[in-house]
Amino acid sequence: MHANGVDLDSCAREPIHVPGSVQPHGALLVLDPADLRILQVSANVADIAGTDAAGIAAVLSPELAAWKASGSLPARLAAPGYPLDIAVHLHDGRVIVELERAASEAMDDPFARLTAFAQQMAGNIELGDALSAAARLIVQLSNFDRALVYRFDADWNGHVVAEAGNGTLPSYLDLRFPAGDIPAQARDLYRLNPLRLIPDADYTPVPLLALDEEQGLAPVDMTFTQIRSVSPVHLEYMRNMGTLSSMSISILIDGRLWGLLACHSRQPHIVPVRVRDACNFVAQSLAMQIGAASRAQTAAIGVELGRLHTKLLASMADADRWDDGLANASDTLLALTRASGAAILSQNGFSRVGDAPDEEAVRRLTQWLSENGIASDVYATDCLAAAGFDDRSVTETACGILACRISESDDNWLVWFRPEVIRTVTWGGDPHKVVRESGRIHPRKSFEAWRESVRDRSAPWHEAEIGAAHDLRASIVEIVLKKAEQLARLAADLQKSNKELEAFSYSISHDLRAPFRHIVGFSQLLTEREKNLDERSRHYLKMISDSALAAGELVDDLLTFSHLGRATLASGKVDMNKLVEEVRLGLAEDIKDRAIEWRVGDLPMTRGDGALLRQVWHNMIENAVKYTRPRAPARIDISGEPVDGGLLYRVQDNGVGFDMAYKAKLFGVFQRLQRSEDFEGTGIGLALVKRIVERHGGSVDATGTVDGGACFTFFLPVLPEE
Amino acid sequence: MSDLRPILLVEDNPRDLELTLTALEKCQIANDIIIARDGAEALDFLNQDGAFATREPGDPAVVLLDLKLPKVDGLEVLAKVKGDRNLRHIPIVMLTSSREEQDLVNSYELGVNAFVVKPVEFSQFFKAIQDLGVFWALLNEPPPKSRQRGGS
Repeated sequence: MHANGVDLDSCAREPIHVPGSVQPHGALLVLDPADLRILQVSANVADIAGTDAAGIAAVLSPELAAWKASGSLPARLAAPGYPLDIAVHLHDGRVIVELERAASEAMDDPFARLTAFAQQMAGNIELGDALSAAARLIVQLSNFDRALVYRFDADWNGHVVAEAGNGTLPSYLDLRFPAGDIPAQARDLYRLNPLRLIPDADYTPVPLLALDEEQGLAPVDMTFTQIRSVSPVHLEYMRNMGTLSSMSISILIDGRLWGLLACHSRQPHIVPVRVRDACNFVAQSLAMQIGAASRAQTAAIGVELGRLHTKLLASMADADRWDDGLANASDTLLALTRASGAAILSQNGFSRVGDAPDEEAVRRLTQWLSENGIASDVYATDCLAAAGFDDRSVTETACGILACRISESDDNWLVWFRPEVIRTVTWGGDPHKVVRESGRIHPRKSFEAWRESVRDRSAPWHEAEIGAAHDLRASIVEIVLKKAEQLARLAADLQKSNKELEAFSYSISHDLRAPFRHIVGFSQLLTEREKNLDERSRHYLKMISDSALAAGELVDDLLTFSHLGRATLASGKVDMNKLVEEVRLGLAEDIKDRAIEWRVGDLPMTRGDGALLRQVWHNMIENAVKYTRPRAPARIDISGEPVDGGLLYRVQDNGVGFDMAYKAKLFGVFQRLQRSEDFEGTGIGLALVKRIVERHGGSVDATGTVDGGACFTFFLPVLPEE
Repeated sequence: MSDLRPILLVEDNPRDLELTLTALEKCQIANDIIIARDGAEALDFLNQDGAFATREPGDPAVVLLDLKLPKVDGLEVLAKVKGDRNLRHIPIVMLTSSREEQDLVNSYELGVNAFVVKPVEFSQFFKAIQDLGVFWALLNEPPPKSRQRGGS
């Protein structure tokens, strides 16, 4: 600590468990466990014990032999005739005996208070109240000026969460102390040895003396002693705080150092062993209470998260896609991690709920996450800026993110967001400041409270919330995989049934047409052969023949229709004017007796399958001709024009029209809006039109009124020139 | 017309057979009509094999071949005839109920001379058979070496 250029961290490297000296309020004997021979002693044995090391060792000899025989566990011993508190333990191949003067004055029995406290803890008590009660009891038992409950955060900064005292020392309630104040190896000692006492920070350390020539002053590990001499840095720290005596007791939860019960007095203050034991009991009772409370809280959170998870699963099961399922249950999704917003990126697109950045910003964020390889599974930060992502378009909405990468190959993400929470933290002295004075570092010389606003940070993500994100991610992955399997199975099934359908239609085309042909053929042969048939018989034969003919046409139309679904589309320039002209020529024979006024506009060229588009025009124009049969003159307008995103073609007539209520049926297979004796047809024509247009990526539409004509349109998206 | 060669009609369906025969009869084609009821019989006739081992030599003027046939189907018969140096000059007209595009494509790839989808309407069917008969049995000139009297 005397060198220039070192800071407080250097005391983090100090080997504080082998100080080579003890505090003067106790004396130490180091014995060989084999023969209980004295190896080292502190220089103050005679001062504490009233006799020299050999003398006290002789007194203790029978007790030590019995202790050794019964297993060498840490124990208290008695030295008849000497008013001493004696503790012994075996560590690191040595028997270590600590001697302290026994309390001289009679003290209150702490038993009644401890019992009352234990009962209070066992009752239904709030954690904050339990902490305050413990601090108060510690002050009463120990007579220290002040007791603090000091809690470590995840980064080992300390936070004073409860306090009691007699008013001599200033209040530290709610102050924070930086992690460096209690360095890592000190925290390790606190974990192993829960209680230490410094009666007087101005003490002069008492060195160990070697009594064994062979071993000399080999280092003695004092981890488990009570009277170990402490680091001079710590003593300086105490003096700076204005406290000359201190005692601290560790609060361990599940083996982890949760915090400390820290006691201080302005003046030197010694606490006898029995009182320390009572204080230790208080700390252990408190630890149990804290542990139970935190386990209860974890369990409650677990139940709640499980319930939310189940709701999200149900929502995903209801939706076709996992991302829709989550977006549909937006409140639950946000509640799961107590986020203010969330964004979902999947191959289906982007969706966001609550308060989340826009798509581009989220994509930059996930890009950054994958480029930096920091999110293979789940990643959480409460400060994106500190993590290295300083894109205002994200951080102005959200400072903290919890990101799940659902799948690497498809770049699927689920990201939760939390907004900035400006917290004001009150530090016990400027945590960023190292005070130097003549080349020497003075830890925490200034104990003015120092306030720091924490910006660019969200509320931190709770471990349970990160766990919930992990679980949800696992469920999504499972669902995505299951869906993919289902799709693959479905595709295979479809392929199979498509093949079956093809085989079926092939067989129909061969086998169903033949009998109709036979019926027509033989009934016509019969008609020719029997010249003398009466009118009615001829009529019957005609009915037979017509029916079979109609059935044959139906089969042909159906085959054409089903074939259209499979046929590959040709793609070339198509002159619609020419197609319409050809269709009209083809119909000329049928309409030579009709009065039809045609108005055909100039039709824009398009691209597509010419033969199929001719079929479209043929069916639409034939329909117009058919349903204007009662009109003289009939009027048929054919036109086409470019519209937004494509071309629109139109066939309008003044025929019998249709009721818009049945419009939905117009383009269905076998749907007819007219009686077949009025207008012939198989009911497939418009279905065919729709299918052809849709295979070109277009759409069909119709408007009409009963007896007021009809207007059929079809839209083709303009395809780029190849 | 002693050099009138026969027409080989390959048809398994008895009603189609009767209608086709009636049609051919009505257009007064004098050629003999030889009937095979499946693909195997048709090949036997063409190869002078099996039941036709002792027939008079000579090729038919035309084969009217149904597509769907028992044993050996129409496309197989077509493939065998067109793959045989000695037979491939014989005109083959595929007569079928099918409007399947694939059948049409396959037939032309195998070298069919004509492909006719049997119309449902009898007068059209009649007309089609008549045209076929007149064209292939009367008008069409076969290559010189096959001008031998065949059939009975």
